[in-house]
Amino acid sequence: MMKRPVTVLSALFAAALSGFASLGGSEESVVSDQVKFQASRKVVPEHGYRVHEISRDDGTLIKEFVSFDGKVFGVSWKGPTLPDLSQLLGSSFTEFQNSVQPKAGRRKAAVVHNSDLVVESTGHSRAFQGRAYLNSMLPDGVTQEVVQ
Amino acid sequence: MKRGFAAAIVVLMVVGLAACGSGNSSTSETTTSSPPVNNTQTVIVDAGPTVNGQSIGDEDVLFTTVTICVPGTTTCQSIDHVAVDTGSTGLRIVASQLTLTLTNSTNTSGQPIANCIQYADNSYQWGPVAKADIKMAGEVASSVPIQIVGPSNFAAAPTDCTAGGTPAQTVSDLGANGILGVGLFRQDCGSACASTSSPPAFYFKCPASGCSITSVSLTEQLQNPVWMFPQDNNGLVIVLPQIASGGAVSATGSMIFGIGTQSDNALGSAQAQGVDGYGNFATTFNGVKYSSSFIDSGSNGLFFLDSATTGLASCGRQATGFYCPASTTSFTAINSGPNPKASATQVSTNVAFTIANALTLFNSSNNAFNDVGGSNPGVFDWGLPFFFGRSVFIGIENQTSAAGAGPYWAY
Repeated sequence: MMKRPVTVLSALFAAALSGFASLGGSEESVVSDQVKFQASRKVVPEHGYRVHEISRDDGTLIKEFVSFDGKVFGVSWKGPTLPDLSQLLGSSFTEFQNSVQPKAGRRKAAVVHNSDLVVESTGHSRAFQGRAYLNSMLPDGVTQEVVQ
Repeated sequence: MKRGFAAAIVVLMVVGLAACGSGNSSTSETTTSSPPVNNTQTVIVDAGPTVNGQSIGDEDVLFTTVTICVPGTTTCQSIDHVAVDTGSTGLRIVASQLTLTLTNSTNTSGQPIANCIQYADNSYQWGPVAKADIKMAGEVASSVPIQIVGPSNFAAAPTDCTAGGTPAQTVSDLGANGILGVGLFRQDCGSACASTSSPPAFYFKCPASGCSITSVSLTEQLQNPVWMFPQDNNGLVIVLPQIASGGAVSATGSMIFGIGTQSDNALGSAQAQGVDGYGNFATTFNGVKYSSSFIDSGSNGLFFLDSATTGLASCGRQATGFYCPASTTSFTAINSGPNPKASATQVSTNVAFTIANALTLFNSSNNAFNDVGGSNPGVFDWGLPFFFGRSVFIGIENQTSAAGAGPYWAY
């Protein structure tokens, strides 16, 4: 498999599709993330999966990891602010929130290691980074380490 | 303060007369200076503010009392239990605790300006920006933009701020009456938010039609008040006593303004280490380098790596994200960063630390702990436990001391 970035013009997709993209969602929905985040996007083929890289001029980089059957099995983010995690985590967001259990005065990273859902959100203002994946959706031969 | 100012004027007048009278440019006789201002502010780790007669009772939150005033007036208010946070920049006061009437900042179109800060746990603080004089010890920062957190009569936080997460905007949510951000940077956002092309989501303009991201000049952004003091403005040092394993009910220390500006804030043997543009440096643990590590008094534990790399059991749902080893465990890590005076030279410091069972600690009646920790995959977040038994210097960006130019840490 070649590692050739394919740049896609944002404008082509901005009008084309709607709906929410997210962890566990379909590849088409990645495009709505791009529109939502007013970003440009490129697709990088990897061995056993594809990565959609959504980047914004403010320095935010979101990656969505997609299996060949078109499912988003992982997402990662890096940037000066947090992306909308409710959109990015999709139907897993409620599980994430219930697992994080914010408590008064306790400020720390948000780390969820459930049997299927894994979310790791760390960093601080100006420099956040994080990732999330679903163990059950990792393609054959692909390990969670690729979701970075 | 008033006395010091008067003395300074007298000295200036004497210098002026001497210069006129003699025609001699030498100023060797004019070393007499005004008495130094009080640069030492008390800080404390205790049970926190009370809500409905009950202490919040959080662990490892460092507090101080901040006086804010309507700019240029003597109409002031002291606010206790403001959290001291080296991981952020700017003063943020919970709206319910504010009795002063401050004027909201606006843009040139008269639209209110709001500020947002997010945290990695997907919580946030949102609210309008207003200017106030900030007084701590004998120091005064004049007309400083601050954030009023969560007033009920202001527009709701837009999605770009909430990021889908949960607000931490009440005293109960926050465990504090406000946050005093005295980190490495002058402004909370800096040049990225002063740029009109794609500023990140820190500042918003809020016309009646709704709030949207906007750019804000450096001077109108939230400021680290320390660099705005007329003196003792190149940084600060936080000094906390060592405490016993198992913790203490409270721990009292000092936040001293300035680095090497008075007899009480000399660097001594502290080693200065620079940071990257994000305020991060490298921590090496078991031979692996983690380059997005940081020091943050606003984190109430040592949050590092995960159970697999540390061998520390997690606490489970009773204390999500914390470590609960069967017995207290000792570790060593190496922090490193460039020498601020010679960036090609790396300065490394060994840091020894211990991690105890967080549930055992939390179930005690103590509030200050030097050995509470939790997970943070791929990163070391040196939270408040790091500060006990140390003098930690914070060199503010573009401000210089004997250690060089900030941003740097020294300890």
